[in-house]
Amino acid sequence: MTTTDDPNTATAIGDRAPMTRRDPSQETRPHRTAPLTAAPALVRFLLRVDRIRALVWVLGIGALALYFSHAIQVIAGDDETLAELAGLYADPVGRMMVGPGFGMDSPTHERFFAAGYAFVLYIALALLSVFTVIRHTRADEQAGRAELLRANVVGRHATLAAALIVTMLLVLASTVLIAVSALSAGFAWEGSLLIAGTGAATGLFFAGAAAVAAQLSSSSRGASGLAGGLIGLAYVIRMAGDAPEVGGTALSWASPLGWAQQTAPYVDDLWWPVLLLAGGGLLLVGLGFSLSTRRDVGEGILPARLSRAEARPALGTPLGMAARTLVGTLRGWGIALLLAGLMFGSYSQTMLDAAGSLPPELADFFTGEDVMLGYLAYIALFMGVLVLAAAVGGLQQIRGEETRGRAEYGLSSPLSRTTWLGAHLTVVLAGVVLILAAVGAAMGLGAALSLEDDGGRYAGELIAAALQQAPAVVCVIGIVTALIGWLPRAAAPVGWASVAFCGFMGTFGGLLDPPDALLDLDPFHHLASHPVEPVAWEPIVWLTAIGAAGIVLGLLGWRRREVGRI
Amino acid sequence: MTTPPPAANPATAQPTAAHPTPDAHPVISAHGLTKSFGSVRALDRLDLAIARGEVHGFLGPNGAGKSTTIRILLGLLRPDAGSVRMFDRDPWRDAVELHRRLAYVPGDVEVWPHLTGGEIIDMFLRLRGDYSARRRNALVDRFELDPRKKARTYSKGNRQKVALIAALAADVDLLLLDEPTAGLDPLMEAVFQEVIRERTAEGTSVLLSSHILSQVEALSDRVSIIRAGRIVESGSLTDLRHMSRTTIEVDTAQPAHDLAALDGVHHVRAEAGRTVFDVDGDRVSHVVSALAPLGVRSLTAHPPTLEQLLMRHYGDTTASRH
Repeated sequence: MTTTDDPNTATAIGDRAPMTRRDPSQETRPHRTAPLTAAPALVRFLLRVDRIRALVWVLGIGALALYFSHAIQVIAGDDETLAELAGLYADPVGRMMVGPGFGMDSPTHERFFAAGYAFVLYIALALLSVFTVIRHTRADEQAGRAELLRANVVGRHATLAAALIVTMLLVLASTVLIAVSALSAGFAWEGSLLIAGTGAATGLFFAGAAAVAAQLSSSSRGASGLAGGLIGLAYVIRMAGDAPEVGGTALSWASPLGWAQQTAPYVDDLWWPVLLLAGGGLLLVGLGFSLSTRRDVGEGILPARLSRAEARPALGTPLGMAARTLVGTLRGWGIALLLAGLMFGSYSQTMLDAAGSLPPELADFFTGEDVMLGYLAYIALFMGVLVLAAAVGGLQQIRGEETRGRAEYGLSSPLSRTTWLGAHLTVVLAGVVLILAAVGAAMGLGAALSLEDDGGRYAGELIAAALQQAPAVVCVIGIVTALIGWLPRAAAPVGWASVAFCGFMGTFGGLLDPPDALLDLDPFHHLASHPVEPVAWEPIVWLTAIGAAGIVLGLLGWRRREVGRI
Repeated sequence: MTTPPPAANPATAQPTAAHPTPDAHPVISAHGLTKSFGSVRALDRLDLAIARGEVHGFLGPNGAGKSTTIRILLGLLRPDAGSVRMFDRDPWRDAVELHRRLAYVPGDVEVWPHLTGGEIIDMFLRLRGDYSARRRNALVDRFELDPRKKARTYSKGNRQKVALIAALAADVDLLLLDEPTAGLDPLMEAVFQEVIRERTAEGTSVLLSSHILSQVEALSDRVSIIRAGRIVESGSLTDLRHMSRTTIEVDTAQPAHDLAALDGVHHVRAEAGRTVFDVDGDRVSHVVSALAPLGVRSLTAHPPTLEQLLMRHYGDTTASRH
């Protein structure tokens, strides 16, 4: 069965031509193929190529929706707990994190689901759209596969159309599962369908954004960066818009993710913001098709610039080589986190004002009495987890150097294995410390700008609070490095699982009351909540020791194992 | 068709490291190299010897073990069995020291997409130590590379040029070239051959892995043919031709069917009214004297091309698979 699939698809692409020529609409221009020729065959082909990946995404989003909709009823069993938890999403920080918080004054399970968790599903759908569209347009073009396809009788717009159709099929399948999950939890029909519809429209919007990005940039990384950056920007704008008041402000309406959350499911059940998203998505899709006719296959609208013909002296050193490989990723993370730190810091005064009227469980969620310092301590932890994600991204890139054969090529110069990996790790470690220090300083600056009296007083403490996260990051770096040395295939999965685990424990650990053994596994959990508590040196020492031991172990393994055995 | 490879192979039977004088030390000597990846045996008792200043052609189809051999020479892989020495050192243990004396061009070059071609060339040259900027720039010009472009915008041929310039501009004793000109156009191929000749004139040794036969023929002093992880034949091109068969096309007054009965004659066939057959190298004079009485009207004889040498060995593989 499976072996015959591909040849069938290949012939189907070729066979499509005579059929379109018989198409009456084409009779006026009999020598040209229709722009969408072979699109249906391509759709089948892409679904075949993507079957595992598609299944994982769709079932993953479905499982997430199922978990969210049913777990709420367990976590918040009685009305009292529900009301307490709803308070989390009704306050400014909660709104900043998850959304405008509609209906949290009289919460129900379904409203709690919509206010606190629907945004995760929307973002997952947006990411699914961006990755799928770029993967089948720009990434294929960059790898030269598109050329191979376009050499057949394939219409000018067929590849982009097929990529969009496949993307929307995956999005729609996911949203069906979301609706089923919500309904299975006994939530109201209209609101559940609204969440699914909003999810589909969000997917369409970002699929359109990705279609445009794929025309603009000539590299798949650049295109993913553009479209993914738009998701991030939409989220940040929504944060700033939703934090000041319940239901959001005018600024919330400047973000497509804001439109998605203004539908207020199970409260107002507004459908027209969905049309805004879908309409915007269709416009972007149209723009994508139109831009694609203004460029050559393989090229981007944004020109590839000429650069240096000769290397700067630093590039000829191991550190220079490693830095040039890794700095791009780290710089991207650094800038994003710096802005986030500045923004989070600037909510200090809001927190100070809110402290008087907060329900007690929020004070439990953030350690310590002083709500503002608790908030800042929590943000430092949150930033630490994001810096960990940046570090794991860097480590995965190091491993990528090996799987792509560049390590082999680089090691053919007189560089020892230890020097090579050591230089790359040095860059990642230096990046971690620099980003954390910068994020702490940005939080301090944000606090200084927002606080009414003596704003600068927390700057030092906030830099310390951010830098204090470094040992936890170093600990995970050590573990992943040891895996790179001894069990390279496990390195990336374990690294990203650690990020997800630390993120989950940091976000929900206080809420779900997990067993101590699970809490102990989270390296960030052991660090003191500075500035609420004083910096504790003991965990700093042993977390760093674990990290250092892992790095040494990894270097030893890397020296003795073979290179490029993937 | 099923002739086994010659049992006593003159090249590999030679004691390669027998003489203690420095000049007699081979640049590369490998004996009985064996390497398996899981159940796949990539190298099966491979022997290889390369003398100083020699261009050694390393011929074989994809998957024969050429790249595995080169990775072992680079100290990236460790052989399961056998011994290998480069400049009389262990490629795994002394990798860094050895890499100062060699440059490598990978077959399918993956370069850093965000660096320009010029930056990549300089990076490699500087990691290796001193280099001549004049030589580097001259090569950039000769290979007609635009060094200002980011590597992600280069075609395969241009990426290959980057790796070639980085290797050829370096002042090294050994070049390990793995299918170095894949993706280059014929003009650049000519430039490549020119530069290799200049380097060998300076005493650089070259291991040239390839399946482009004309390239190996044009450049190599000696050739090793690898098949399924083993060297099946090794020697100078003259040696190999001698061991191989000559193809003779002849037009005779009398029918020449009886030739097939002669010792050393193979594949007698009629093509366009002429009789065509292959003769073992050492039987040519015999066969020619047998032809004379038949009234030869025209006769052409040509030495085997490397294609034919390869076909002989790979023909064997396909036959043995049936």
